[in-house]
Formats: sequence, structure tokens, C-alpha cells
Amino acid sequence: MNHDSRPQRWNSVSGIPLKSFYSAEDIPAEHRRVMDASPGAAPFHRGAYPTGYRTKAWRIFQLSGFGKPEDENARIKFLLANGETGFLMEHDRNTGDHCYNVDHPDVLARREDVGLTGAVMQSVRDIAICMDGLPIESTYGHAGGAVVQHAPFALAGYWTVAKRRGIDLRTLAGTGQSDFFLTYLGCVTKQQIPTPAGLRFNADIMEFCSKHLPRWVPVSIAGYNGADSGLNAYQELGALFANAVEYLDEIKRRGSMPMEEAARGCGGVSFRMSMDIIEEACKLRAARLMWTQLLERRYGITNPKVANLRIHCVTAGSMMTWQQPLNNIVRGTLMALAGVLGGVQSLGVSGYDEALSIPSEHAHQMSVRIQQVLQNETNLCAVTDPLGGSYYVETLTAQLVERAWQFFEEIEQQGGFLATLDSGWLHARAAENQHAEFMAQDSGERVVVGVTDFREDISPYAVDGFMGVDDAFEVALARLEEVRRTRGERRAGDALRELERVCRGSENIMPAMMEALDADVTLGEVGDVWRDVFGDWNTPIQT
Amino acid sequence: MSTGTPLHVLFDRARGGERGALARLLSVAEAGGEDAAALDSLCAASAAPRARTIGITGAPGAGKSTLTAALLGCARRESQPVAVLAIDPSSPLTGGAILGDRVRMHHAAVDEGVFIRSLASRGQQGGLAQATSLGARVLEACGWPWILLETVGIGQVEVEISGRADLVVVVLNPGWGDEIQANKAGLMEVADIFVINKADRDGVAQTRRDIEGAIAARPGGAEIPVIETVATRGEGVEGVWAAIAARHAALEASGLLATRRRGRIAAELESAVMSALRRRVAVLLAGDAGLRERARIEAGASGIHEGARALLDAIVRD
Amino acid sequence: MTSAPKRILMAKTGLDGHWRGPTIVARALRDAGFEVIMVGMVTADEVVRAAIDEDVDLVGLNIGGHVEVAERAIAAIRAARPEVPIFCGGVVPPWAKKRLEEKGVEVFPPGSQLPEIVEAARRLTGWQAA
Repeated sequence: MNHDSRPQRWNSVSGIPLKSFYSAEDIPAEHRRVMDASPGAAPFHRGAYPTGYRTKAWRIFQLSGFGKPEDENARIKFLLANGETGFLMEHDRNTGDHCYNVDHPDVLARREDVGLTGAVMQSVRDIAICMDGLPIESTYGHAGGAVVQHAPFALAGYWTVAKRRGIDLRTLAGTGQSDFFLTYLGCVTKQQIPTPAGLRFNADIMEFCSKHLPRWVPVSIAGYNGADSGLNAYQELGALFANAVEYLDEIKRRGSMPMEEAARGCGGVSFRMSMDIIEEACKLRAARLMWTQLLERRYGITNPKVANLRIHCVTAGSMMTWQQPLNNIVRGTLMALAGVLGGVQSLGVSGYDEALSIPSEHAHQMSVRIQQVLQNETNLCAVTDPLGGSYYVETLTAQLVERAWQFFEEIEQQGGFLATLDSGWLHARAAENQHAEFMAQDSGERVVVGVTDFREDISPYAVDGFMGVDDAFEVALARLEEVRRTRGERRAGDALRELERVCRGSENIMPAMMEALDADVTLGEVGDVWRDVFGDWNTPIQT
Repeated sequence: MSTGTPLHVLFDRARGGERGALARLLSVAEAGGEDAAALDSLCAASAAPRARTIGITGAPGAGKSTLTAALLGCARRESQPVAVLAIDPSSPLTGGAILGDRVRMHHAAVDEGVFIRSLASRGQQGGLAQATSLGARVLEACGWPWILLETVGIGQVEVEISGRADLVVVVLNPGWGDEIQANKAGLMEVADIFVINKADRDGVAQTRRDIEGAIAARPGGAEIPVIETVATRGEGVEGVWAAIAARHAALEASGLLATRRRGRIAAELESAVMSALRRRVAVLLAGDAGLRERARIEAGASGIHEGARALLDAIVRD
Repeated sequence: MTSAPKRILMAKTGLDGHWRGPTIVARALRDAGFEVIMVGMVTADEVVRAAIDEDVDLVGLNIGGHVEVAERAIAAIRAARPEVPIFCGGVVPPWAKKRLEEKGVEVFPPGSQLPEIVEAARRLTGWQAA
């Protein structure tokens, strides 16, 4: 399709009308007043830290994992050797997301897929294998547990392995996730604890870290999953802060830790980076501004060590095409650039083969190389907030903030973030956008190179798609049986009973989880307790 | 029908336990027309033991699918086979529908003692209730002792469908005082059991008062159970199942069930006659006789009522 | 007068909870006048049970991961209801797509246009809303 014959409607991807050029008068007065603040100072839109990448380049932080725990261990070491500066431990999703062991009928029916989207870890022993030889004291690790009901297991397992190595948990840095967007919006599992139980889990994790792991980021709200399910830029922003409010209000209600600490605990978030480069960079500036406003207006917090939102970005996997996959290297680079221009603290770039499968070694290496090129060859690290002061960027940042707060208000009016998940309202918003996007692609309004247009491909080699290893299931089954055979059955039984008791009451679940992991309790047994005590979330959508 | 298998052969196979044949019969019932009429006769002649047909309805969002799924669990724990007809609305614009009740019942997904069938309303006047009644009769003829008719909504159609059941369960949520007051379609008069689902929320006591106030004037209103549940956690569901069994037994013992069934037959007969009449009228109006009368009226040679009587005579004569 | 709408079963063979693809396709099919029965994430046995009891005219599978999982479901459906056509959508590498097509199953990878999918449904069921 000819570029000239496209309909002439110029909006940002989120629908904000764009002028053909901007000037000073376009910047809203209210924003003009705060525009010139420095990076590292309120309202932080220019950057979380004053010296930015000069002092500390963004962390190269790739999602990784498949197969047996030792396969994931190898891939993480490969990535670290190639230059990533933090690691993400992805647990197999068939088992982890549902807290099933591999012998659960629903897992057995898909046994080939076990170990495809993460390593199978059913006990602390598996987690130890996965972490073997990883420099967890000096390298920032993400323990996995992206899904809310899985997080306590993943975190307790990681921390137990650390303890066994003689590491003082008070010094251990790293992050959890336990993300509502993924769990209840983007990737709705077959069974899940209801949202109120999820909120309880996350508040418990935040409290536990406050007491025992002060350097650990307990939870990370991942707007990425909201965006990838269809929410646009300002909806992603508004919903993310509505999610944060749920955590903060719960802590406030409990009165169990200082609010500043709670804010710091959920002040490490993630956003998706997609293809509208400027809008996406503005989204991060808007996010930092909104966090400052939220903390001050709602909680009276102005401490700059708390009000500076720290952001991780992942480039949009859904933008990767299976047609002409090498084009995805360009896409990954551009989306990464958006994150860098927006001032991210850490960045994961999707593999160029993501539309086909999980990343091959080469695709993973490429994701790291892209970031290394950006860090070392472009001089981008020299100046913080390079887009600051641009008439367009400042106007768009302000417009995103305005629309995001409106969306936030719509959510609050319905009773808050959890209510909009339970009712399916948020899913409906996401679906509307997805539908419109499909229509735009069908009508020719949206061009995707290699897919809708420019389809000739003379690439010298095909990208086949990496499907992991073949023996993840068998080995996992054997190890499960071994755990059952060799563990102290009394201690495991006691630990499970204690876990159940705590769940039925209102004590913090994490001490019981730590004991359970140490006692070789398995993932499926933990899941059985969840199902028994909390029941099943009533999904508002049909999958 | 697709393969040309004679209806009575399918019927025998279905009664013999063949699920595929039963499924095909339900499609016949849904489609209506001559085949459905013949199927109806086969069911009548089969003299199968009576099933217990329970209507479950409530406004969207009440959690009635979750409740139905939980009730399935209760039935199965007693080794009772149970069938579900789950009805969802068709799009008035396109005629299509998304039917999603099975997802809620995934625990019963391969249980031989459960039969779930999703039906779309298909926007027909009265046709849905007829199709559902016939579907229930087919299941009954095939030996299913419990049949749950699950509809969404508290409007006219849902009341009509529910009226085809022996007993109606209405599912509400706390804080629905307005819906109860509105009672547009008379659901408050039809309900035999009320369930306040999502009872972990605020407003349960007030809702209970609203319900009791609305049914106070009904004969036997004080005996109507109002049961609290949190269906997602299975709380209170056993109580609902026990109440269903108890109410059904009471209706039977008192002779009220027989009265209702007689009334149901009368209502269905009227509905069937009306449907058939509507079809005949549509054909007549679109045909030569109808066009002729219209022309006469347009030309001033006849009045509307005169024309109507002439056409009516034509129907009666044929 | 149009004949009764054809019924399409939509099922996911995998255990990953991405729901947008099936939902968008389901809506497009509904808008084209079909009745779409959604069953969620199901095993081979479960999809067969639904295909039989709902007397569907077409089965749509949302697939991904290892193609063997989808193939098991396809084989089971064919054993129980050989006359019912099956089509698939989802993330599959090109060689897996080819393998399924050789078995007579149409595959719609990401980026497929909705009109294509609706057209396939019409062709496979031999039905179109008036």
C-alpha cells in the first residue's frame, strides 16, 4: 500500500491528536511550571536520579528460562557472560502459574510444553539447581513469581537458597513481581486465588521484606501486561497507579509499616515499550510525574528517595512478527531506544524470534547486543532526559498525565483497581482497543512491514523457532518422586498444616512459606492449600 | 438433518445412552419446526420417569453460572446425574452469540454423569421457551433425573423459561434493593428459593429484608428460603442444594407440583398454538390474499378491521 | 428466512492464559452470525466431550507451544466426530503450520486478518448469515 494513500489522521497510538509541529504555547500552563525541574528532583519527570546514566547505566535485564533448572542456569550464565547485568529467573508457567506439580492431569495433558516458558521448579531443590553458581550477592536477581499465587513460593525458595549459602538476607538485593496485571488481566489462568487473597499475599510480602529483606523490592507492578493485553499508554499509566493505591491503602489499613517504606516497596514498576517511540518515552516521564503527585496528594509523602519512581521496561513482544523475523531486531532496537530516552533503570529487549517461540541463544545474545550498542556507541549515556524541553515531548507528557488521571478516576469510581478486574471492566477496555487495532490492520490504516505490506523476503536464512529441551517433563517427574521419597515427611506435613492454618487466619504467610520451602514442600501441595482455603477467582471473561 | 438418520432411530440411540445422538436431538429441538414436533411426540410416547427441572436465573453478574457449577458438584457428590441447559442471549444485531457457561463448569468437563448444553436465545418470540422445554423433555426421556435450566436476566423471557421448570431459584447480590423493588417481570412472584450470592460483601442484611418484604404478601411467602452463598468459595452451596431437594419434595407431596405441571402444559400449549398461528399469519400476510386485502384497504374499498376479519376467516377455513 | 446459525466450538489446547486472540476471533464470528461456544483451556478429552455434547458444526482451536499437544486434540476430535472440520489459530513455527495443514487443518498464525478467518468459518460450515 502506498504511503501517500493512507488516511491522513495523525494521532499517537493511544489516540491523542498530534499537530504537525509544536511550539511553546502548546505546553499546558500547569506543566510549564514544573517543566524545568532537574532530574532527580520533584516532580522527577526528567529522571529518577540526578546524574542518570553517567553514574549508572541502565541494567541489561533479560527474561530467560526454559527446560530443567540446569538448562535455565546455563542460559542465565550465558547471558551474564555476554554482558547482561542482572538476571531474571523464569519459572515454567504450566506448573508455576497454577501451582500444579507436573503430575497434575492438566499438566500431563500438555507434557511437551512443560519447561517451554520457564524452568520447572517444584521444590527448593530445583530452585537451588537453577541458582547454582549465580552471583546473587553482587548481581541483581529477579526471583520469578510473576503470577500472584506463585510469588510466595518463588520468593521463599530463592531466599531459602540464599540463606543456605550463608547470605544474610538483610543484605540481599533483588526483586519479586507478583503482578496483578499479568495474573488477572493479561494472562488469565484456569485457576487462581481471588483478588482479595492476592492483595493479602502482596501486602504480606511487602511486610516481610520490610522486616527481613530491606534491600529487596517485594513486588513490581508490571504495566507491561496491561499494555500487552490492549490498554493504551495513558490507560496503562492510570491503571498502574490505581494498582499501587490498592497496595498502599492496604498497608495503611494494616498500619504494619511506615508508608514511606511501603511506597518505596512498590516504587519499582515496569512498563511496556512499544513502537510509538516518542509517546512511549513520554509515558515514562509522565509516570514519574504521576508517582510524585500521587504520593504527595494522597499520602503526604515527599521524600525524594521514595518519590522517584524506578522503572523497568520490556519491549513489546506482541510487536514481533513471524514474517521476516530479522526486522524484529530493528523493532527491538527502536523500542529500547524509547526506553532509554525515557530514562529507564533497567531494560529487557524481546527476542527477534518471539513470534515463533522462546528466544534462541542467538536471539537472546542479540537482545543484549542491542543494549550494548546503545550504551557504548551512541553517546546516549552522556545526557539525562535528552528530550526534555522539546515542545512536543513536554506537551505530550502533560497530555498523557491528564488522560491517565482521568482513567485512574474512572477506576476509582468503580471501587478501585481490584473491582475493575473482578467486574471485567478493565478487560473490556483492553479488548476494545485490540478490536480497533485489528480493524485498523484489516482496513489498511495500520501498516506492519512484512505483514500488511512489503512482504517480499529474501533473508538468507530461516528462523525456525527454539522449542527448549525434550526431557524437562521426565526429569521433573523423576525429581518430584525423589523429593517425596527422600524428604522428612513429618516436617513437610507439619509445615503444610501450619501454612494452611496461617492462611485461614490473618497472620503473615511468609514465615510459614519459608519453613515450607525449607521442608521440601512441593509447588502442587502449596497450590492445594490455596485452592482449599481461598477458592477460585471468578473470571469475568471467557478464555 | 445432516445424515438423514431417521428421528426415531436417533431417539432410540439417545435413550440407549449415546451422547452424540442426544446432542443431535437437542439440535432438532432447538431448530423447531416439523422435526421438533415429531420429536415432541416421541418424548410424550416414551413415558419416561419425571425429571426434576430446576430454573436458575438472576441478573448478569450475580454469579449464577458459578453457583450452577457448584450445584453440579453437590449433585455429583450424591452420584446424581445432572444435565444443564445454559441459555445466553443472541446479539439482536447479528443473530450470533457467545456462549460461555461451560468455562465455569470446567470441573465437570469429562464427568459422564454431567451433560451441559449451551443455547442461544436466537431472538425468537416464544421460540426459546419452547425449544428449552422440548430440550428438557428430551433429556428427561433419556433418563437424566436432574435438569438445571440456567438463564441470565430477570426479564420477561427469563420468567417464562423459569416458569417451565418445576422450581425456580433466583440469584441476587447484596445491595440489589432497586432490582427487587422494580420486579418488572414478576420474578419475585415466581421464585421458590432466593440466593444472596457474594454474601461476603456489605448489604446482605438489607437485601434479605428487601426480599422478605417483597414476598411477604405471597401465600407461603414466609416459607421461601433465602440462602447466603459465596459461590466462588463454595460456601452455602450445599445449603442451596438441600433446599432445592427439600422444596421439590414438598411441592410434590402437597400436590402443588402436579398443579404447576398442568399449568405449564396449558401455558406451553397456548404458546405453541400462538407460535403456529404467528407463522401462518406471516405467510398469509405476505401472500396473495394478504396483498389483495391491503390493496383494497389502500384503495378505500375496505376498512382495516374488515380486512382483518376476512384474512382471519381464511385461516380458520384452511 | 435464514437457517439456524451454525455452532462453533472455541477451545485453547495450551495452559497459558492469553485470551485476547480467542476473544477477538469469537467476537468476529459472533458478528458474522455464528454461535460461538467457548470452553477455555481444555485437554483433548474435554474438547471432545464439548464437541459431541454441543453438536457443533466446526471446532476452532487456539494453539501454541509444542504442536504435539494440538495434534492430540485434533486426533481425538477426529476419532469421535470425523465429519466435523477443525481450524486453528495461534503461535506456531512455519514447519508446524505445514504439518497441520498436511493433516487437513487450516492454520491462522498471528497477523491473520479477521475477514479471512470468518470466510474460512463460512466455507467450512457451508453457511452464511443472511
